[in-house]
Amino acid sequence: MDCDEVSRLLDAYLDGELDGTARPEVQKHLVSCADCRKEADRIAGFSSLVRATLPMYKAPAELKAKIRASLREASAPESHWLFRLRRPLMYAAAILVLGFGLASAFRTYAPNRNQELISQAIANHACSLMVDHLVDVTSSDRHIVRPWFNGKLDYSPPVADLAQEGYTLVGGRIDMLDKRPVAAIVYRRGSQVINVFVWPVASGKIDFDVQSDRGYHFCGWNQAGLNYFCISAATAEDIEKFEDEFRDHANL
Amino acid sequence: MGDERRQFDEIFLPHLDAAYNLARWIVQNDQDAQDVVQEAYIRAFKGFHGFRGGNGRAWLLTIVRNAAYTWFNKRLSDQKWVPYVEEKHAEIISIDQSATENRMEKQKEDLRGALERLPPEFREVIILYEIEGLSYKELALSLGVPVGTVMSRLSRARQRLREEFAQVKTRRTANGL
Repeated sequence: MDCDEVSRLLDAYLDGELDGTARPEVQKHLVSCADCRKEADRIAGFSSLVRATLPMYKAPAELKAKIRASLREASAPESHWLFRLRRPLMYAAAILVLGFGLASAFRTYAPNRNQELISQAIANHACSLMVDHLVDVTSSDRHIVRPWFNGKLDYSPPVADLAQEGYTLVGGRIDMLDKRPVAAIVYRRGSQVINVFVWPVASGKIDFDVQSDRGYHFCGWNQAGLNYFCISAATAEDIEKFEDEFRDHANL
Repeated sequence: MGDERRQFDEIFLPHLDAAYNLARWIVQNDQDAQDVVQEAYIRAFKGFHGFRGGNGRAWLLTIVRNAAYTWFNKRLSDQKWVPYVEEKHAEIISIDQSATENRMEKQKEDLRGALERLPPEFREVIILYEIEGLSYKELALSLGVPVGTVMSRLSRARQRLREEFAQVKTRRTANGL
């Protein structure tokens, strides 16, 4: 191999991307040719200079929000569709359940559990606003709110710090939901209060897109063995946004 | 939120900075880079079922790159390619100079100026290889060219960057900065 040939392969050789017979040949040439060795040093040196000093652009903060909004839009037709279908389906299920309920004394049916759960969650949310019992522990510091739950529950709910995203942590509370005590984490954005209920999925996973009932919007999901149910009088879009942020910031 | 959307977010949102950096270097301004990245994420989401696992970052960057070139072509058909203006760049360098003091900062600025002077196909190969660490094979897939072409393009891109870097530096030194 002569210097011209080697110079064509030198970058790939230094990048460890040269294989087959070419590799040992370039190596052999480098041992005997000081000029090519010098050039190899220059290439490698410059390459590491680029890696170490080339300025990187960081995505502006608003870009993530913009992308999320357009992803929501992109996936919207699908959910609208399901959303429109969900209601009649639920009515149908309710009628069915009613029928079954009349026919037999047993009434354990999956949609029923969801419905019960939603009613209970709405009641909890409304109650937390009406009665002066929004929180049992008041703090905007998640390092205070999270430990507060210790000893009161048999699991540790993640408490996300969403101050940067515009949600102020108000505190925490214990509520009854799904026939067990659950953690309620409370956030505030402007005049809107958001309750997030968190409990282990042992009694069954929940997962549904934003729905509305009695003027509230809510959605449920599960993540790392815990069910999450968030509810507020904010708009459906706001709730979806909140879910995004919460999922992002709760340690996954 | 659907399962698909959730999965998509978990795989691709962490690569947002890399996506933006690449777009920013190709199209060379913030607003257009944001548009390109946004478009790329929508494209990626729509084509998500075609993603078979593997290197999500490389997959996304390929889409960002393609979106950037769609943007380029649209712009090129709108107006003529803006030629490189020597004075403009010289000025940028001298302005930055007043703020930067140490050698590292100067090198950074010189390197930025040098890379800005390369044609986009060289800029992208530098970013994708040196910064994002794609392999030659991934680069070939991403750029849609054979590995042999990747090899020569990267080699030429480095060579050109080195030359531009030396020139920018010389000019700065000549200006007594």
